[in-house]
Amino acid sequence: MSATTTGAVPAMPSGSLMRRIAWHCRYDEKRELWIGWWTLVAFYNLYGLLFFVLARTQPPPQPSLGPAEIVQWFDDRRSGLLYGYAIVSIVGGATAIMTATLAYTMRRMSVSRAFAYSYLLIYALATLPGMLIMGVACTVGAMRPDRDHALVSWLYDFAFLSFEGTMGVFLVGSLIWMAAVLLDKNRVFPMWFGYLNLCNALTEVVVAPAWIFRRGVFAWDGAIAWWINMAVFVTYTTVFLTLLRGMIVREDFGSGPLPELASDRAPASAGTLGAAR
Amino acid sequence: MRRVDGELVLLWTLPAVGLIWLSAFLLFPGFVQPMSPAMSAEEVVAFYRDPANLPRIRYSMIVFNWFAVGLIPILALIALQIRRMGHRTPIFSYAILACAAGGPTIFLMANLFWLTAAFRPERDPQQTLMFNDLAWVTFSSQVGFLIAQSVILALAIYLDRRERPVFPPWVAHFNLVVALLLIPAAFVGIALEGPIAWNGLLSFWVRNIAIGLWIVVMGVVLGQAIKRQQAEDGAMTT
Amino acid sequence: MTTVQVSVAPRADGSDERAASSEKPGGVRFVPGQPDMWAFVLFEALVFTSYFTVYVIRRTQSPGPFLQSQTHLDLHVGVFNTLVLLASSWSVARCVQATREGSFRAALNNAYLTMLFGVVFLVSKVREWATAIAQGFSFTTDEFFSFYYFLTGIHFLHLLIGFVVLGVAVSRIRSAAGAAPELVETCATYWHTIDFLWVLIFALLYVMR
Repeated sequence: MSATTTGAVPAMPSGSLMRRIAWHCRYDEKRELWIGWWTLVAFYNLYGLLFFVLARTQPPPQPSLGPAEIVQWFDDRRSGLLYGYAIVSIVGGATAIMTATLAYTMRRMSVSRAFAYSYLLIYALATLPGMLIMGVACTVGAMRPDRDHALVSWLYDFAFLSFEGTMGVFLVGSLIWMAAVLLDKNRVFPMWFGYLNLCNALTEVVVAPAWIFRRGVFAWDGAIAWWINMAVFVTYTTVFLTLLRGMIVREDFGSGPLPELASDRAPASAGTLGAAR
Repeated sequence: MRRVDGELVLLWTLPAVGLIWLSAFLLFPGFVQPMSPAMSAEEVVAFYRDPANLPRIRYSMIVFNWFAVGLIPILALIALQIRRMGHRTPIFSYAILACAAGGPTIFLMANLFWLTAAFRPERDPQQTLMFNDLAWVTFSSQVGFLIAQSVILALAIYLDRRERPVFPPWVAHFNLVVALLLIPAAFVGIALEGPIAWNGLLSFWVRNIAIGLWIVVMGVVLGQAIKRQQAEDGAMTT
Repeated sequence: MTTVQVSVAPRADGSDERAASSEKPGGVRFVPGQPDMWAFVLFEALVFTSYFTVYVIRRTQSPGPFLQSQTHLDLHVGVFNTLVLLASSWSVARCVQATREGSFRAALNNAYLTMLFGVVFLVSKVREWATAIAQGFSFTTDEFFSFYYFLTGIHFLHLLIGFVVLGVAVSRIRSAAGAAPELVETCATYWHTIDFLWVLIFALLYVMR
């Protein structure tokens, strides 16, 4: 049973979007979950803009470039790199809320909380080698145009290898989520999502040759190690964002099976107190 | 009955860690007069090779390395206090734990780069310059988790629905101000001179003073919250 | 209290029944086993197809070197491996049949037989790799061999997962005599898919010249 300390909750106002958002912020019992969900959506969109448009480090450049070409690559995107990764440094901590929200889905399941905690820790520390090191390496690579070419080449490798090649955290993290979903009796997520986690985990195996090859389909920019992997990852991310939304709408804050989505329930009203009882 | 033994012990590690950090901070010659990013490779190498500097660099960084993760018990205590707040889910306390896993590790990384730079001062100047750059950029610009922990704490306080909130609202406002003050330091790569450079007013002084202030204020506030909690628990059992 | 819709028929997105559902004797079923597993194997098949497509494209761009390297593969070993996996598909199908009929002793035996065939395949595959490496053909030797090790390697990994899946089937057969065969069917679906993918890999790497 939910118990706010403020007594009766006023009905949600119809009208402008701002008023409805304000109502949700003040009275929606699920506001923490929605904050988590919107953080995920906002972050992934911003991430796309920062990496693909501003810094232009994705899609990745070729590992086979020589030192002079690498220096040219940094020259071409100097400000994009510096400003882009500065912004990444500021917002990168949002991953804490994102991971916390996903860990919560495991807490809602019938399985042990060890799953939620493991996932939380793994993905929390994953941001360092998996995103922030690249920011540091690219910033250091771009900040001095007169740096020794061999060292710039090393920074280039360090950036892309750590970014693409940080595998274990996502591998094990996905397997943990998979196991949680498959063992869960509360029907938080469908079984096929458990299997999709396995697909995501396998992409981390497929990317392993990127540590070995400098050209071809298995290099860090290759058709198999990047393009196909990215297609799987984007599918996976879109799917779990959608499923998470459904889960939040269905959430009843109990500890038993999560109720199914009734087809006639509009998501907006699902946030009112009492509707989920 | 919640087990609270030892929490005050953990809390008292904060001033101890704070003192150790401050001493190491003052010992490191690169901080007291913050090193300029505009220094050339030869100047940087001269700094590391200077016999007056080198031992101080090494010892201060060794001490930092020992205690880089010193903030983690405090973050754990904050996570526990957030757990007491009137929230519907444990998401905010989870998020603070995630910050605890990420933030201090960054500090440790910067520390490793400085120690490596100091290990072989006779190295090629360009290499020493790069390690020095890596250390400073990591230390200054990676403010993401520090910002996140302040924003999350502020959010948690604003959404606390308890009759007697765990932390008073001004703590939330304070945390948001700290988060804002940390933002400029993310841009250290942009300039080698001026307020944004890693030795500049915004990226060095404002950032580090904000962090120091956060440590002191949160330490006091946390102590008060724990004492209040013990009083409440005591009143409940009598 | 929210009314929980307990659906009998599977929904189009396949997101309803759990593996343990045995309470729909007369329920409509699209496919044997969980629809979720079908969704998964179709997705995996799609991913593998993309790998095969990349292989074919690269091969078309340099047929000479690829053909040259392919001659170093032993066709006989490839055929043997294919036959072993086909036999394992046969035994897993018999396992499903036995489970449906309720003869759990036979089901268990067939499950173990499937595992045995799987092990034979794994051993044969490792020997094949060891031989190739001893002859100097490693992952980085040339492009054909990088594809060879990658495709057979990722398949090998799926086969290892298959053992876990078979283990789940075995534990289900042993624990709940008389239970619905759905979980065993689900596991068999996965196993058949691995076999199917191997046939494609065999055709591409060994046969297609």
